[in-house]
Amino acid sequence: MKKLALPDDILMQIDKPARYIGNEFNSVKKNPADVDIRFAMCFPDVYEVGMSHLGIAILYDMLNKREDTYCERVYSPWPDLHNLMKERNIPLFALESQNAIKDFDFIGMTLQYEMCYTNILQILDLAGVALESKDRENDDPIVVVGGPCATNPEPIADFVDIVYVGEGETSYGALLDLYKECRKSGFNRQEFLRKACHIPGIYVPCLYEVGYKESDGTLEYFRPLYDDVPAVIDRQVVTDMDSSSYPTKMLIPFVRAIQDRVVLEIQRGCIRGCRFCQAGMIYRPNREKSVDVLKAQAKELLASTGHEEISLSSLSSSDYHALGELMDFLIDDCLSEGVNVSLPSLRIDAFSLDVMSKVQDVRKSSITFAPEAGSQRMRNVINKGLTVEDIIGGATLAFKGGWNKVKFYFMLGLPTETDEDMKAIPQLANEVAAAYYETVPKDQRQGRCQITISTSFFVPKPFTPFQWAPMYEAGEYLRRAKVVNDEMKAQLNQKSLKYNWHHSDVTVLEGVFARGDRRLCPAILDAYKSGCFFDAWGEYFDFDKWLAAFEKNNISIDYYAYRQRELDELLPWDFINCHVTKEFLKREWNNAMAAKVTPNCKMACSGCGSAKIGSGVCHNAR
Amino acid sequence: MRARVKFAKTGIMRYVGHLDLMRFFQKAVKRSNLPIKYSEGFNPHQIMSFAAPLGVGLTSEGEYMDIDLKEKVDAAMALEVLNKNMVEGLEITGFKYLPDDAEKCMSAVTAASYIVTYKDLKDDACYIDNITDLKAKFFDEAHAINIVKKTKKGERELDLKPLIYRFNISIEDKVPVYDLLLSSGSTDNIKPELVVKAFHEFLGLPEFDDLSLDIKRVDMFTGEPDNFVSLGEIGDEH
Repeated sequence: MKKLALPDDILMQIDKPARYIGNEFNSVKKNPADVDIRFAMCFPDVYEVGMSHLGIAILYDMLNKREDTYCERVYSPWPDLHNLMKERNIPLFALESQNAIKDFDFIGMTLQYEMCYTNILQILDLAGVALESKDRENDDPIVVVGGPCATNPEPIADFVDIVYVGEGETSYGALLDLYKECRKSGFNRQEFLRKACHIPGIYVPCLYEVGYKESDGTLEYFRPLYDDVPAVIDRQVVTDMDSSSYPTKMLIPFVRAIQDRVVLEIQRGCIRGCRFCQAGMIYRPNREKSVDVLKAQAKELLASTGHEEISLSSLSSSDYHALGELMDFLIDDCLSEGVNVSLPSLRIDAFSLDVMSKVQDVRKSSITFAPEAGSQRMRNVINKGLTVEDIIGGATLAFKGGWNKVKFYFMLGLPTETDEDMKAIPQLANEVAAAYYETVPKDQRQGRCQITISTSFFVPKPFTPFQWAPMYEAGEYLRRAKVVNDEMKAQLNQKSLKYNWHHSDVTVLEGVFARGDRRLCPAILDAYKSGCFFDAWGEYFDFDKWLAAFEKNNISIDYYAYRQRELDELLPWDFINCHVTKEFLKREWNNAMAAKVTPNCKMACSGCGSAKIGSGVCHNAR
Repeated sequence: MRARVKFAKTGIMRYVGHLDLMRFFQKAVKRSNLPIKYSEGFNPHQIMSFAAPLGVGLTSEGEYMDIDLKEKVDAAMALEVLNKNMVEGLEITGFKYLPDDAEKCMSAVTAASYIVTYKDLKDDACYIDNITDLKAKFFDEAHAINIVKKTKKGERELDLKPLIYRFNISIEDKVPVYDLLLSSGSTDNIKPELVVKAFHEFLGLPEFDDLSLDIKRVDMFTGEPDNFVSLGEIGDEH
């Protein structure tokens, strides 16, 4: 029988012990003695969240295809187990072998959101690995991070040995080959890192030095310490999605994951160019998979997992060129086999409503709009090409089809936002409610229509046209939410409207990290030492501890979050080449200030710079 | 037609709860390509039901699930293909077709047998030399075993004696091993911990901890006390 890392008495007192036993169907079993490289692949959040992540599934499959490598999984132990592991000195272990990850060659972590930064430290701490790169010894694991937040890795630069910038499919092979080569004779950690920095997309923070201006504290220089170290890191991009590594089977967790279904990635990148959206910029160019590849992958994944639900993953599924054909295939081939098709958020039109009516119970389901801003002016500023006519027209069609629930997603705190823009949010919702009462005769109504408005607070992200934008203080966000709430109560159809908004403290912190620099590292370390982790979970988020850590380290929230950055300021992430040029971002910032819309990539090329990649939408006929 | 699948849940699978196990089996049946029946509606689900749920931490040699199939498949083949879709700690040990009038396993269960011992070989109970004699006083010679059972609604008095159909003790390497046959099912579901706890109280041992016991369910039965039939004995392979 498999030996577990945790003793029975611990497993019997913690919540959901099956998070920690491994043994999932389709998990990879190898004999550690048969491999050269042991890789702990970690999602620094709780099991159910991490197990739902497609990127990890792709890399786990890809790395395990190598005979010389055993890639195993690690997730953040929930606080109940965290405390017991600390109390009893149980080192953090990988799920498959249950072996301590301190003895592994690599600990890889994905940075999906800024609020996981303290969980990175938790993983290292529980593993028994030095928290700071400079304190690690020759044979300690190499700590490598990747994921979307790796496009500005500076706030965690002190904690990691390597940052993998970009899509994991391209350079991991070279990195592992190099490691194996270096291991053959007298491994020297520094030598390995120095060699690794020459692999495309590999950033080794300790090989760079940073200086700040005395006048205003902004970045003065960022440069390699040695001549051979590259000054610019090219973000890695898959050029051919069809031939790129994709798993044919996925793990079946015992504990229900957030995504308890087959997830089929239909394309990467987005043609839309919304100015607030980091994913829409860094994953450029838009690259689609061919529909035949997707059909084959869908069939194979359903057969190998036994999942009874399949959903599509992409940034904007309505833009996929063969969505109709793909949906027909899924509906014809899957529904009859007892497999549900769950729809991604689609643009609401006759086509999507027809598809929805085939796969959902109209009376129970809702339609979703994400206009992100209430007024047309504001939508032009953010380049969200959705008009009132689109929304009212789509909603009217849906009401005729029997739907009576609508969900709306908006952002508050966008650049140039005025009170009028905020008030336009409930006004738009009111118009949609009015359209319901006009469209559906009284005797056919199932009670009132239900319109739910949700707002989140905008956080400016690197490599977006809004990367220079100021944020607001927490209280100002709440004032904006109140403007929306008050205006909602003034609407004729207010009884059909419901409004939800988020907390604002965590937004400010997210903003600090998103555009932070290396000076944040000691503050994050202090926050962790004072007990901060699982910051993405409301019940564990403690803003006061963060404020104390900032104060101790002279970190000004004002500097990182609230100030307007100058367009010519050297930004901490400027050394990364995301293919979208700074010139384009500046042009888009100016277009935003002029409320000028930029066409999407299928309509016209706006010269963002990603055409250099040589694939995707940039090279398709328009 | 309805098939009854018997399986064992052992080793590290003891830490997987009942709901998670049900979801595992839905996917395993789907992967096996057995012609399982689905319910109607927008969210069709497999017609599948389980006998009495097994608590987290317990192992079992005798678990059951009933599935409805659209057509008959070879029972040996079904058993084999299901086993290919199991993980370490789950094993399919039987596959039989039920007669038309057979009761579903969920409602059919009236009793379950258990082997119970102590995880800690130094448990207080291991030091009572005449434990088998005391057991005779506690159980065989008693007219009633009155306990207070805590329920969601509060506490109620209960006489365990008529709900315990077998209570034997053997000593293996100085550690008592209980062999129990207890009332089970929707009414008067008696957990083995409850019985051992009552015995501990009779022995005058200090505080009892449910987690000190290593419990294995051996089998589940239907019928009346004088004529129990294992759920796995009903039906045949054809």
